Amino acid sequence: MGGRHMVRGTEERVFQIVVAAVLSLCGLAALFPLLYVLSVSLTPFSEVLRNGGFILIPRSITFDAYRKLLTESNVPQAFGVTAFITVVGTLLNLAVTSLMAYPLSRKQLPGRNLFLMLIVFTLLFSGGIIPTYLVVKSLGLLDSVWSMILPNMVWSFNVLIMKSFYETLPEELFESARMDGAKEFRILARIVLPLSVPVTLTIGLFYAVGHWNEFFQAIMYVTDRELFPLQVIVREILIQTQQPLENAENMTPTETLQMASVILASLPIIVVYPFLQKHFTKGMLLGSVKG
Amino acid sequence: MIRTPRMFRLMAVMLLASGLTTACGSNEGDSSDAPASGSGPSPSAPSDSASPSADSGKVVKLDIIETGNNLPPPDKDFIKRELDKALHTDISLTVYASGDDYKNQLNVRMASGNFPDLFMVPDRSTLKQYVQQGLLLDLSPYKDQLKAAVDFVGEDSLKKTSFDGKVYAIPKAPNIPYNTYWIRKDWLDKLGLQPPQTIDELLSTAVAFTEQDPDGNGKKDTIGLTGSKLSAFAPVFGAFGVGNPGDFYLSGGKLMNSLYEPGMKDALAFINKMIASGSVDPELMANTGLQHQEKAIKGQAGIVWIDWPNLSKDQFTEQIEKVNPNAEWIQLAPPKGPGGQNDGSFDIGGSPGIYAIPKALEKNEEKLRKVFDLLNYVSTKDGSNLVQFGVQGRHFNLEGDKVVPTDLMAQEAGFTWLYQFTGRPEKSYLQVKFEKQASFIDFADKQPRIQTLNGFLMTPDGYNAADANRYIEEETVKFAYGKRPLSEYDAFLSTLETSMNYKSFLDSAFQQLKELGYGN
Repeated sequence: MGGRHMVRGTEERVFQIVVAAVLSLCGLAALFPLLYVLSVSLTPFSEVLRNGGFILIPRSITFDAYRKLLTESNVPQAFGVTAFITVVGTLLNLAVTSLMAYPLSRKQLPGRNLFLMLIVFTLLFSGGIIPTYLVVKSLGLLDSVWSMILPNMVWSFNVLIMKSFYETLPEELFESARMDGAKEFRILARIVLPLSVPVTLTIGLFYAVGHWNEFFQAIMYVTDRELFPLQVIVREILIQTQQPLENAENMTPTETLQMASVILASLPIIVVYPFLQKHFTKGMLLGSVKG
Repeated sequence: MIRTPRMFRLMAVMLLASGLTTACGSNEGDSSDAPASGSGPSPSAPSDSASPSADSGKVVKLDIIETGNNLPPPDKDFIKRELDKALHTDISLTVYASGDDYKNQLNVRMASGNFPDLFMVPDRSTLKQYVQQGLLLDLSPYKDQLKAAVDFVGEDSLKKTSFDGKVYAIPKAPNIPYNTYWIRKDWLDKLGLQPPQTIDELLSTAVAFTEQDPDGNGKKDTIGLTGSKLSAFAPVFGAFGVGNPGDFYLSGGKLMNSLYEPGMKDALAFINKMIASGSVDPELMANTGLQHQEKAIKGQAGIVWIDWPNLSKDQFTEQIEKVNPNAEWIQLAPPKGPGGQNDGSFDIGGSPGIYAIPKALEKNEEKLRKVFDLLNYVSTKDGSNLVQFGVQGRHFNLEGDKVVPTDLMAQEAGFTWLYQFTGRPEKSYLQVKFEKQASFIDFADKQPRIQTLNGFLMTPDGYNAADANRYIEEETVKFAYGKRPLSEYDAFLSTLETSMNYKSFLDSAFQQLKELGYGN
């Protein structure tokens, strides 16, 4: 018996090692392009060219590209716009989403199924670009930061995740709160929200990443360059080498500059992720299992 | 993960929208053939000064959109400042780096009635679509008020933007050709070769560049010829006296389509020989954007079909020098062949840009006048100099009529072309802005080329140009790469004519060109 245990033990260990090896390979494969981007962004462009365009570990380091981006381009301005959209947008998103999810999680809500149907309906069908554009236009939102925040205040899918999470809270809590004289708003603020930190953070992250990557609405609704978010500016920098010559005067940004802009655009989100990770997995899991 | 569904949604909606706009357009379309006479003051004196109308006490906001990049923020945009000062306007120019984004934006705005006051039309099929939907202002009645602009681009150029005798947009002043073969002089010297003068020499040089280690690093890591897709062989087609596949042109006074010339088969056979020799960039068909340029700069290729800016501008000569201080690129006259000597083809019907005014502006006389003022201003001396070179005294000085650039021009005035709504006198402009490259500009401009007429053509209904062009490209590539024997060339043509409706396009094209006075 002991022998079989031993065999199983080694089998187990071999399995573990194989899994670890495969996973670290995958991890490396995912890291590889990132490392490449980082290295090129730090290497003087002449060095990049001399190496046939491929650099993994920079031999000489320069921050020229970053300095150029931060002082001579629209990037700082765009950073501000994106930060505003992300912070204000996410806060509003969370407020509206939880206000919507909470009543829907209560079985007593009259017409609950109807509301749910309506919400699911928007998951499957949408008004489309031009009608949305017309709405945004007639609300006078064109060319304002709010056009990148208000049209997407709620993602139906996130409402459903949040609703499922709220449903997992024990009914007794609500009863006792009510017994103590708390009304719905107080219950939401004092009981539900403090107990739902994981799901709130997870969904907040979804929203925040969405806002950080804001591109499409900006292209559609904003014509004022000062209001362009980061991704639009970064894309402008990146796309110039991918198009055939339109005008002899075009200055093509060097690869170093392009890669630096990519790093600048993704760094903040990369930095935030690890801190939210533990809530993230928890929030996802709870939402999905009990859904 | 968010993008893809959006794209689908977008596509679906565009479909829907095009239906909608067609409906709306036709309603409004007929109502107004408003004659221009009587509306607005008589055209300002046709003299050069084209001074903005004197009655303009009020500042008018003009919303303009186009593709482009590197537009500085409004507070640093001295062209906007000068134009606003001269014209009493508040110009708000928005540029889109990506052509696709621009098309989306433009379509949405046209569909929702939120028209810009002046905008670039992305291509001729869009122009046709907008004209049919009645979205564009017919400029013919206003020709007098646009005299300066029309004179600047040339009355003849308006053919490019006319339908049924009505002018719907202003094309920019014509371009000049930029492309030639460029070859590594130091590689030729190292291998003891002369610049190739015939297509056979071109082939043997390309082979030598591939086989004989011209960069002397002991590795067989160089390629002979590179370029972007089949255009890399433009001079080879030219050497057989034919344009690129699908080009229309006059050959001995007769209208021709290159696909139907006997030389086309011979050209494809020769290209096949070049490719089979292994001296052509194996990634040729996969090169996008400026990848061929990168290969040239990095010292991987010895001959490249490219425009002069991308190999001779200071930005790139610096890069070339950093990779290899001995590298020396020279331009190559088109190699001779059985059909003569042509550096590919150049579309005399093409325009570097087309600008249109929405029909809706008809009702806003004040704005319309300002748009006309703007177009006229950038087409006459002061305004044209401004959008070409920058601010006089700061970016350039005038010595007599000669424009002398200052150091600041290169530093600050790189974006002014965004305001060249009617274009510029191409050659003199380039030679001022690119003084160091003047000889390359001149060389590229002087090479003999087949003058193609495709730019004048309107696609007939029922003919899908995108599909047909893709088919032509796919099949010619197969012939060039020997994936399909040339004995099937006639079968290819008949499939093209029937399945792709090319026959109706051919008939219509010849008809249109004859009406414009080409051929007989």
